[in-house]
Amino acid sequence: MNLAHLHLLLNHFPTVGLGIAVGLLAAALLQKSRDVKQASFVAFYLLALAAIPAYLTGGAAQVALQDQPDATQQVMAAHQDAALLALIVMEIMGFIAWTALWRFRRWHETTVLVLAIVTFGLMASAANIGGHIRHPEILAEGAAAPVPGWPRTAAVGAAFILDNPWVWPICEVFHFVGLCVLFGVVLLVNLRLLGFIRVDVNGLLPWAMAGLALNIVTGMLFFLAAPEQYTRNPAFVWKIGLMLVAGATLLYPLFPARDEERAPLAGRIIAAGSICLWVGVIFLGRYLPYLGSE
Amino acid sequence: MESGLVVIEQSGVATWIRESGVLYGYPLVLFLHTLGLSTLAGLSSAIDFRLLGFAPRIPLASLERVFPLMWAGLALTATTGVLLFISDATKHASNPAFWVKLVFVLLAVTTLAVMRTRVFRGQQRGRILAAVSLACWFGALSAGRLMAYIAEFVS
Repeated sequence: MNLAHLHLLLNHFPTVGLGIAVGLLAAALLQKSRDVKQASFVAFYLLALAAIPAYLTGGAAQVALQDQPDATQQVMAAHQDAALLALIVMEIMGFIAWTALWRFRRWHETTVLVLAIVTFGLMASAANIGGHIRHPEILAEGAAAPVPGWPRTAAVGAAFILDNPWVWPICEVFHFVGLCVLFGVVLLVNLRLLGFIRVDVNGLLPWAMAGLALNIVTGMLFFLAAPEQYTRNPAFVWKIGLMLVAGATLLYPLFPARDEERAPLAGRIIAAGSICLWVGVIFLGRYLPYLGSE
Repeated sequence: MESGLVVIEQSGVATWIRESGVLYGYPLVLFLHTLGLSTLAGLSSAIDFRLLGFAPRIPLASLERVFPLMWAGLALTATTGVLLFISDATKHASNPAFWVKLVFVLLAVTTLAVMRTRVFRGQQRGRILAAVSLACWFGALSAGRLMAYIAEFVS
């Protein structure tokens, strides 16, 4: 199995998963169930994480198909533009869903619901265009694949970085700033779960999420500008894999009883694992140019 | 000065860091440098956010326990920083970004030490110190990250 193959698996999660999560949230609102509502926020956050590799492996599939005729290239470009737009809205949705779990406000639930429905529409449209890339049998005979007039998000983003030589270094600076802020708060929160710090430090958690958001944005800009530099790099694949699991561990500190001296054993394992995962992400990030140079 | 730098970068340790391959040597030292700095700057900025009024319910005294961890990060970053410097001493010494970074790191660490004696003993609220600390870390990170670009520009 290669990354292009993985794309065919992963690309179903955002659409199908969003349908289920919207159903959960709607049921929770109707039944006024706090637990179901929280479960739906967890699902929204995890789906927003899962959408990242769905997009990235799409880049790998595009590189794999770069010798295909122009018509295919056009459909792929349109698919990518639609997918990027959907991804942007979906990441904002995931961010707000996480914030709702951190400290709930009334506006969170309606905002997440609206963004989820918008994302679902955008994702479905991206999926529809994507289906035409390798499935000519679903078109009427002689018809061309539909290429809607999406804003050229991916091409415009890539051109912005490639045409302005200062953008890449600035993004590198902010990628490092985001990493430090994220890692510092991750250390504090997990040291608290491990019992090393004896006080609730969850108030600082949004800074970890802000660091993660900053790094997803700057990281996506690197990927947009030079996808082939990453999709062929095994260190990058592992880095993203670890990053997603590490990102999921940011849910854990939101749940355990807050007044205990330290978390139960399972929680301490998650806390230690979280620190190790983020160190692994930093390690693989630093080794990207060295491990992927073949 | 110049010849001293050349002697340093041709020493055994410096040659080993430069030439020992992919998995250890230069990349490993670089990774440890990043890890030490993100521990130090990350924890320090988390404390800064607290002092600036975010999460005001966190008692300061409880955060004092992370100072040893920050000093460990500083030790790791400083040691690996020396190794990275000697691996390419003449190039780094002629790079203005390197000296800018060094000044910012010294300022940030001094701010942190002052913060510990003044703010953690309850003598002042430390908002200004926190802002200075954040600015210094941002300056140090930027100068450090941009060193490679500025080296190219200078030469």
